Amino acid sequence: MSTLTINAIRKSYGAVETLKGIDIALESGEFLVLLGASGCGKSTLLNIIAGLAEPTSGDIRIGERSIVGVHPKDRDIAMVFQSYALYPNLTVHRNIGFGLEMRKVDKAERDRAVHETAKLLQIENLLDRKPGQLSGGQRQRVAIGRALVRNPKIFLFDEPLSNLDAKLRMEMRTELKRLHQMTRTTVVYVTHDQIEAMTLATRIAVMRNGRIEQLDTPEKIYNRPATLYVATFVGAPPMNLLAATAGEGGLQIDGSDIVVSVPGLESAAPGRRLVLGIRPEAIGKADGVLSLSARCEVAELTGPELVVTAMVGNQRIVAALPASTKLQAGDAIVLSADPAAFHVFDAQTEQRLN
Amino acid sequence: MSGTWMTTRAWLLMLPLLIIMLAVIGWPMIDTVRLSFTDAKLVGAAGNFVGFDNYLKMLGSSNFQRALWATTWFAVVSVTAEMVIGVLAALLLNQQFYGRTVLRALLILPWALPTVVNATLWRLIYNPEYGALNAVLTQIGLLDSYRSWLGEPGTAMTALIIADCWKNFPLVALITLAALQAVPRDITSASLVDGAGSFARFRFVILPYLAGPLMVALVLRTIEAFKVFDIIWVMTRGGPANSTRTLSILVYQEAFSFQRAGSGASLALVVTLIVTVLAIGYGMLVRRAAGSAA
Repeated sequence: MSTLTINAIRKSYGAVETLKGIDIALESGEFLVLLGASGCGKSTLLNIIAGLAEPTSGDIRIGERSIVGVHPKDRDIAMVFQSYALYPNLTVHRNIGFGLEMRKVDKAERDRAVHETAKLLQIENLLDRKPGQLSGGQRQRVAIGRALVRNPKIFLFDEPLSNLDAKLRMEMRTELKRLHQMTRTTVVYVTHDQIEAMTLATRIAVMRNGRIEQLDTPEKIYNRPATLYVATFVGAPPMNLLAATAGEGGLQIDGSDIVVSVPGLESAAPGRRLVLGIRPEAIGKADGVLSLSARCEVAELTGPELVVTAMVGNQRIVAALPASTKLQAGDAIVLSADPAAFHVFDAQTEQRLN
Repeated sequence: MSGTWMTTRAWLLMLPLLIIMLAVIGWPMIDTVRLSFTDAKLVGAAGNFVGFDNYLKMLGSSNFQRALWATTWFAVVSVTAEMVIGVLAALLLNQQFYGRTVLRALLILPWALPTVVNATLWRLIYNPEYGALNAVLTQIGLLDSYRSWLGEPGTAMTALIIADCWKNFPLVALITLAALQAVPRDITSASLVDGAGSFARFRFVILPYLAGPLMVALVLRTIEAFKVFDIIWVMTRGGPANSTRTLSILVYQEAFSFQRAGSGASLALVVTLIVTVLAIGYGMLVRRAAGSAA
C-alpha cells in the first residue's frame, strides 16, 4: 500500500491551470523531490498536499484515507518552510513544542519530545533563545525540529535550504539525508536546485508547466532523461544539444559531415529532425569512438575540471575535461564521445528516442 | 565641502522654521507660564504676581478633580473600545470576501470627517425629539419613550464616548490592517499545520506583529483623548451638570468664559504636563515593543 497517493490532481486559478493532472504514488520511507523551475507548479502541489490549498479536481490519499477537504492539522503531515516560519516571540523550546501544545499533549510528554528532538538536531543549548537570536542555519534546524517532534506520516519541505549560504546549504543537505536515513519517514521535498534533488531523492519528479515530465530515480533522470527538458534541466554544465538529422547510416550532425550510428535509433525515418544530447562530462579528448574536430573558444578552470567551450562545425559544444588538460583559446582539439552516452530526442515532440 | 559648512548650512535652512516655531509655540508657552503665576483677567490689567496660588487652588478644587476624573474615564473607555473594535474590524477586513475593497474604502469615512461634522451628526442621532436612536430603540421595543441622551448626566458621557469611538476606531483599524499585511504567509500557514485554532493563531502568531503598530495607535489615541475638546464642545459643552466637563473644557471655561487668564493658564499647564508624562511613558513602551518584535 502506498503512503501517499496523488491521483489526477488539477488546480486552476481562474482561467490559468497551474496543475494539469498529477499522478504520483509514494511508498513508505521514500524521499520524493519535486524539481522544476519557478512557476512549474511544484509549490502549489506541495500546498495541496499540506491542505493550504485545495485542488480543483482529483484526489489525494494518505494511506487509505482521502485528505481532500481535511484541515491541515488533521492530515498527519508536518511542513518546513523556506522562510523557516518560526514564531518570533516564542522561545525555541515553545516553537518546537507548539504543535504538541496545540494538540493538548501534556507538558511532561511535550518537554521530553522537545528535548529528544533538540538533541537529535544538536540545538539543546538554544532552547531558551528566541528566533531573532539565531543564525540562519540554527533557525532551519529549529524549523526541522518543529516538524520532526510531531512524528508525522509525511514531511513536506518547501525549498528549505534556499535561504542558506552555499556552505551551510551543503551541510544541511547532508544533515537532512542523515535524518531521513535515521527516521525513514516519507518526505516530499520541493526545490529548484538539481544538486539537492540528485543527492537527497529516492525519486525525482521533474515538473514543467503543471505537468510531470519524468518521475524516476536520480540515476535514471540523469542517465536516461525522458525528454529534452529533463535532459537540459538536470546536469551542470547543461547537456550539449546538437541539431541533427536521421540519415541512412545513422544520425548526421547538422553543419558537419559527421555521421554517427546510435544504438536503438535504427528505425528513425531518414530526414527526421533530431536533437543529439551529449553531457559535457561524457566528452573526452581523442580516445572515444566518435571524434569531433573542434576549436577551443573559452577554457575555464573550475578546480576539479577544465570546462571547455568549443566550436564543432557551426555548433557550440561544452566539454568538461580533466583539470590537467592544457588548452588555450584558439587551439584545435579533437573531442570524442562514446555513442553509448548519447541521448537522442525528436526535435518536434522533444521525447527521447534511444 | 567641509563638515562645518554643512552644519552651518543645515542650521541656516532650518532657521526660518525655528523662528516661526519659537514665535507661535515658544513665546506663548513662556507667556502662559508667566500668566499662571498671576491673577490676570482675560482683558484689562496685567495682573499681580500671586505665586503658586492658582495651582494650589486648582488642585484643591472639586471642579478640577471632577474634570480630571471625567477626562480619564473618557480616555480609558473610548481608547479601549476603539482599540478592540479597530482590531476586530481589521481582522474582518483582512479576510477574503466579495466587496472587501469597497468596505475598506468606506472604513476611512468616519475618520476623514471633520470632528464638528461628526459631532453634529451624532447630536442629530441622539436628538430627544426626532433622533434616530430613540426611533430605532422604541420601534424595536427596547425603549418606552424618547430620552434625552445628551441631556441626562447618566447617559451623556457614554453617548459622547460612542460618538468618539465611531469617529476614531477606523484609525486603529487602518493601522492594524497595514500591520496585518506584514504577517508572513508562511507563519500563518505553519500555525495552521501546527493545529493552532483562531484564538491561538491570533494570540501567538499575529499579535506579536501587531504589537508595535498598535502601541503607536494607543499612544496617539490616548494623548488625543486626553486633550479632547471639540467633539464635547459641539455636543454637550461640558454639560449636563458638568458631567462631561473634561480638562480642556475646564481650561476653556476658566480662561474664556470666566475670563480668569491666570488660573486658566495654570490649568492648561497641568494638562500639558499630564499629556507629556503620558507621551514619555508610552514612548518607552513603544521602544520596548519594537525591541521585542525584532
